[in-house]
Amino acid sequence: MFLQQLVNGLTLGSLYAVLAIGLTLVFGVLNIINMAHGGIFMIGAFVGLFMVTVFDVNIFVALIVAMAVGAILGYLLEFVALRPLRKKKVSHLAPLISTIGVSIFLESLALLLWGPQTRSFPPDYIGGLIDFGVFKISMVQIIGLGVSVVLMLILNIVIKKTKIGKAIRAVSMSTETAALLGINPTMIISVTVMIASALGAAAGVLVGLSFNAIEPTMGVIIGFKGLAVLILGGLGNITGAMVGGFILGVAEIFSVAYGASTFRDAVAFGLIILLLFWRPQGLFGSKDKGGRP
Amino acid sequence: MDLLNPYYLQIVMFFIINAIMGISIYFTLASGQLSLGAAGFMSVGAYVGAILSLKADLPIVLGIIIGGLVASLVAVIIGLPTTRLRGLYLAIATLGFGEVVRVIFLNLDITNGALGLSGIPSIPQELTNLAYELDMDGLMGIDAVAWGNLMAIIILLIILVLIIAFCVRINNSRVGRAFAAIKADDHAAELMGINVVYYKMMAFIIGAFIAGIGGGLYAHITNFINPTDFSYHKVVQILLFPVFGGSNVVWGSVLGSFILTLLPEVLRFLSDYRDIIYGALLVILMAVRPDGILTESMVDKISRKLGFKKAPYIPESQVLTERFEAYKRKQQEEKQG
Repeated sequence: MFLQQLVNGLTLGSLYAVLAIGLTLVFGVLNIINMAHGGIFMIGAFVGLFMVTVFDVNIFVALIVAMAVGAILGYLLEFVALRPLRKKKVSHLAPLISTIGVSIFLESLALLLWGPQTRSFPPDYIGGLIDFGVFKISMVQIIGLGVSVVLMLILNIVIKKTKIGKAIRAVSMSTETAALLGINPTMIISVTVMIASALGAAAGVLVGLSFNAIEPTMGVIIGFKGLAVLILGGLGNITGAMVGGFILGVAEIFSVAYGASTFRDAVAFGLIILLLFWRPQGLFGSKDKGGRP
Repeated sequence: MDLLNPYYLQIVMFFIINAIMGISIYFTLASGQLSLGAAGFMSVGAYVGAILSLKADLPIVLGIIIGGLVASLVAVIIGLPTTRLRGLYLAIATLGFGEVVRVIFLNLDITNGALGLSGIPSIPQELTNLAYELDMDGLMGIDAVAWGNLMAIIILLIILVLIIAFCVRINNSRVGRAFAAIKADDHAAELMGINVVYYKMMAFIIGAFIAGIGGGLYAHITNFINPTDFSYHKVVQILLFPVFGGSNVVWGSVLGSFILTLLPEVLRFLSDYRDIIYGALLVILMAVRPDGILTESMVDKISRKLGFKKAPYIPESQVLTERFEAYKRKQQEEKQG
């Protein structure tokens, strides 16, 4: 029982982690919270679903197409909602509202195009259960966990080893200094938002697959959890987002398994409020990030 | 009369309540804190007020006031740790507070869980009964229901005006200047001898009180509340009022709530495209006017035009520029002469 719940928790947690990494990447370079992330996540889920149901492709192909669409949306988001604000040196509130506008736009667009009903992947789309004796794991969970871990590994390599990753880290430390050193911050910011949105769309497909419920409003609810993970791990910290995602996933599954199922949605924020007493900057956060509104 | 149909009057009532909620966010923003707990405090005020007048048969007024007080009491408890947080951390911690409150209300017996409370005594209804008693039905060609609604609107307006007056007065006081100093730079404010935690706490508690009153009014106007009324969507909606209208002045919240309450009704003919346009409009507005529609200098200009202020307005930055220009001129003259 315990082991089974732990496996379920880790699977859920890996999805939260992928979702939150997108948020934390954008926060790192831009110092803003991207409220449109949930919207892109939802669109990603729908794209994945349509690839599978309409075009009848492999789930991995669907995932890649969804990520591509996510990246394009990310570019548009940056170009339309963030770039004009950045030129004007505004407070933190303006981009927050601007991205909220984008998320309302995406959600209502999805409602208009695809209606409010919940859709799901075809039944028995992906295999059954694999029984390991002490715990069972479904193919869906394996794909969710596997893809998330692979994505996180790739991201880690990109951020740590490649030139573009170095540039992203430089811009997130100081945009001005990075620009002085010959990095084009506008380009790097665009790329970062695109990577983040692609990850968000991938998380959308995976969450849609594991919960088997895809609807236009899913972005807001899950995006909210992403925010919780973001704070839990510390703003702008990728390791924090990963660890925070797993902690939240496990905590949620255990709270459901051992009693308080109706309080599931409060677990995330209960955790945060407790954590903020003890470590206001999050588990891995540094004190100088995310100070002022 | 067509203008006085209950639908229009209800929109006016919602506009006023929204304005009150917007001001509660503005108030915390004025001290440099982005608190997203307004929906949480609103729900505390709404539930306390509703339960008191439903189950304890207290007069509505008393229920609303106690609701506001309980909301500010909760703010004291929540505020002690959270007002030490800054920026986005505070925003998300308070957002989390709202979510926790919502889940608690969802699971309590006295709040009737997800079904919510219905049959809360409604202010317009009570006033309509009063209008019947006073034999006002048909007076000046207006029926009793419209009279009831009109009186409710007048009461709400009085409350709104009182709150605005309170904000304007406080802005020109020692407390308001302390808020402004903290908003500009809290370290500098602390160095100047301002007790930052004390003033932040004060703004937080007053903001919560206003939100609690707003919640109580909301409960007694819609006469039905359930926990989903105060979800994340509500937080975003409330936050939009001051930011859309102008987050640096109290009038911004009023203007923002006026536009954003009316806009969905006006755009109703677009039906399906309404929310898409709403979202796009937010993005465009932020790109064009990131500080909201009303700014401090604009309010100043308008109030001088209307004759409220006499002294010419010179923004701080301009004062410095003028001094610098004068200094440059003087130097040039010295060089030449």
